[in-house]
Amino acid sequence: MQRLGDDRLIAYLDGELETAQRREVEAWLDADPAARQQLAALADSTHLLRLAYDEVLHEALPDRLIAAARGETIEAQAPARILPFKGRAGARTVTSNRWWIALPAAASLFGLVVGGGAVYLGIAKLLPDNVAGKRPAVEAAAANGAWLDNAAGYFKLFVNAGDNPALDVAATGDPREALQKISQTLPQEGRLPELNLKPWGLSFRGAKLVVAEGRPAAELVYTTDNKAIGPLTLIIGSSKLPNISPTFDRRQDVNLLYWRHEGRAYALVGQAEIGYLWGIANDVAWQLDAI
Amino acid sequence: MSFRHGLAGSPVRLVSSRDPASIRFGDQLIAVLPRLRRFARGLAGSVSDADDLVQAACERALARQHQFQEGTRFDSWMFRIVQTIWIDLVRSRDVRKEEGDMPEERLGSDEPVRRVEARLALAEVRRAVDLLPPDQRTALLLVTVEGLSYKEAAEVVQVPVGTIMSRLARARMALQAQLEAGRGVGRSRTDAEAR
Repeated sequence: MQRLGDDRLIAYLDGELETAQRREVEAWLDADPAARQQLAALADSTHLLRLAYDEVLHEALPDRLIAAARGETIEAQAPARILPFKGRAGARTVTSNRWWIALPAAASLFGLVVGGGAVYLGIAKLLPDNVAGKRPAVEAAAANGAWLDNAAGYFKLFVNAGDNPALDVAATGDPREALQKISQTLPQEGRLPELNLKPWGLSFRGAKLVVAEGRPAAELVYTTDNKAIGPLTLIIGSSKLPNISPTFDRRQDVNLLYWRHEGRAYALVGQAEIGYLWGIANDVAWQLDAI
Repeated sequence: MSFRHGLAGSPVRLVSSRDPASIRFGDQLIAVLPRLRRFARGLAGSVSDADDLVQAACERALARQHQFQEGTRFDSWMFRIVQTIWIDLVRSRDVRKEEGDMPEERLGSDEPVRRVEARLALAEVRRAVDLLPPDQRTALLLVTVEGLSYKEAAEVVQVPVGTIMSRLARARMALQAQLEAGRGVGRSRTDAEAR
């Protein structure tokens, strides 16, 4: 058996050979243990190489690069006031000692949850005729306002609940099972595809049924040991409103990145730095083909 | 995808007046930023140099967006811009020594500290990549890390496919030799996967 070169072995590993060349290499591998060993070593170093750079994909995108990509200039302002991430144990103390704060907050949230849909559905009737032309924009803004406040509120409830968040479906075993269960409670168009945020160090804890834009939606709940990211929620619901690009907002001291695409509304909610939210939103969009 | 953030509570304020086509172009750019950063990190080595490189590439891409041909791969076009700027930098600064002129400590001899942590194992891989000559490093990153085919990588670098193939082979063999000399591939992999 003719000994082929390393470049041929590498091209074989990269899937770059024609059928005839591939068979030739396979015959060589069958006959030559040293070639097999070399192939294994090459595969090993390839694997390591990918690992070595993959972590870059899960870093926060610097503001200056987002600005550069959009052809914008950056003017310095006061530094961000990102809330320090509360550890879950600390959060539990807050809940137990300040129940008198948590109670009205929860009550008002309940009002928003129940009322959000009504506000969205009923607002058109309340508008005077002379703003009829602007109605869709006003409706969209009102709907955004209500459901983003809700999204921030849901997130705070989850953080304040500490280690025992009230979930409709807990991800105790297979996360896919939990996703499937919550998905079944949603309208057909809102069914959830599989989503993996493990590369960000985020663990899926479970899901909750919430309201987004006046319609049932799933709130997926994630936790992480990475304090720069902190816990996150991702709300996915169906929407009949037009597509919008990912847009940053801040409600109740919580960062939100929300967007709508092809009949779905999304909101990524947390106390993470905005650069992380961009990165995670990019990943979510890619995985769900949402953008 | 347009990341049109209001930036309340953000440390920066973005100032822009752009037409919809530019906004769409910017959206495309933002979507590939993570991969551009990864590619640039492999080329430039340090985080700040890599981000400077990506920023320069974004600025150049925006200035030349009319040159991008719809229907072709946007990521490849951006890789090409990043690579071109980096090669210009390398040539102007003359930061690379001649091929084979490697610092002694990189040849697998005494490292002052035992590398027992997984992160360091990956850092070792990155250092081994840093030692490769620029053309080999580019081929290696485009094909092995970014997953481009030989043909696509050849188009990015604007060389024949055979040249990419030989650069890649030399890079892979050198990388493997570095890792084996330093500590053994098997151990590196075990450490890295323990992360």
